[in-house]
Amino acid sequence: MNNKRPLAIAPDPARRKATLGLLLAGMLLIVAQTVLANTPTIRLFPTTVVEDLKQTGNVARDMETGLQEVIGRLDQQQQLYVESKCDGAANDPGCQRLARQIGATYLEMLTIMEERLPDMEHTVNNTRISLERGLRNELGKKMTPWQLQETLVGKPNTSAASQSSPTLRGRSGMRLSERFKTYYQLVATSGSRGDQSLAVLASDIYLDMEETSVLIERTRQEIARATLMEQLNQSFGIITPEMMEVVGGVKTILFGDEDPHALVAGPPPGSVEQAYRSPLEQ
Amino acid sequence: MNPQILTSLLKFPGILAGILMLAACASTEPGCPSPQTRNLDSAISFVKTSLGTGCEAHFDRYYDDLLTIAEGDPKPENKRIFSEFLVWSGDQGLLSTRQAQEYYNRFFNVKFMAMKGDYNNCSHTCPNKQRVLLDMERELSDKERGLLKVSQDPEGYYRADRLYQEVELVLEATCTACTASR
Repeated sequence: MNNKRPLAIAPDPARRKATLGLLLAGMLLIVAQTVLANTPTIRLFPTTVVEDLKQTGNVARDMETGLQEVIGRLDQQQQLYVESKCDGAANDPGCQRLARQIGATYLEMLTIMEERLPDMEHTVNNTRISLERGLRNELGKKMTPWQLQETLVGKPNTSAASQSSPTLRGRSGMRLSERFKTYYQLVATSGSRGDQSLAVLASDIYLDMEETSVLIERTRQEIARATLMEQLNQSFGIITPEMMEVVGGVKTILFGDEDPHALVAGPPPGSVEQAYRSPLEQ
Repeated sequence: MNPQILTSLLKFPGILAGILMLAACASTEPGCPSPQTRNLDSAISFVKTSLGTGCEAHFDRYYDDLLTIAEGDPKPENKRIFSEFLVWSGDQGLLSTRQAQEYYNRFFNVKFMAMKGDYNNCSHTCPNKQRVLLDMERELSDKERGLLKVSQDPEGYYRADRLYQEVELVLEATCTACTASR
């Protein structure tokens, strides 16, 4: 009787294949991680930018809260003025009283804005300058046009990355504070995104900050002039069309458009076939 | 021919020789006609023969003809057929490697050949931003032809279209940042 026990378990081909598969998968994972770790990451959102965005959102929210009540009151007064058929009856004492009340509320709105705008200007400028530096160095000076393009295209077959692309240019139809909150959330969770999304996101926020910065500067200049004009108008009880325009403008900036444009559906996605790669492809 | 002109030409043998040489060239130059078939494979064989028999100068027109024929039977396979044709053209010395790459990528790749350059964006792309974007716009219509109409690759074309929009946005921001002296 042969009592000899085999020294080793006879290799089962299926098990060997599975082990080999696991080993290969493990090796691939390690290689992938190493490649990812070695991929140069563009630094467009340092911590300061994230904090600045948060701060700007908070300042915008404070301004909105302060103005909301005043603007609501202004709307009511205007409605009363129209319902009382005061248009074209400027000499009527009752209408003059109403006009003065509207003018006073308007002045109140301007004062609140005058108080809050410097803070807003400061935080917006900080964000803008930080982003400007990042864009200039990371995309402007460290990259050739081809590298920039490759950054935007991303790695092939990264459908997850393209799905997580931020929605761009959603400025109108959104409260100012909401806009910054959205930006903050997008940036704060940017770790999970590819560089391609970050470059687009940074560009979008930067251009928005540029626009907002110019708008704030212009508004501050206008407030001083408008305040003086309204103080003069108070003695006559006049509602100027400019006043209505300014209120309308402030409402649009702070609380968004009343009738945002409907989004147009994109074309249907193409068939997901195995793409051919030419040896000529770059 | 007027005998007087003939006599004067005989006086200047150089001029006469030139005229005779030109006439000889004109008589041996092939017609280089476009392929008449609607079948891409047959058309490519025809074009290869023509290019090999003195019609090299008509490469651009032939390439355009082949694209038009391929539009009649769009399929993903066409990418490979065009790539192989361009590789063959390179091997035959009709095109340099760079030219072959340019012909292929301009029509069949998502990335834009108009966005090539060896220098950084602040110094190279930004001063020529408008021209680069215009070139990209033109290239996008070639990609529409190559990716969408020839290769039936709408996904690739829409990605190229989105890339164009992203480049426009990112360049606007980057170039503003490059020129800002703050």
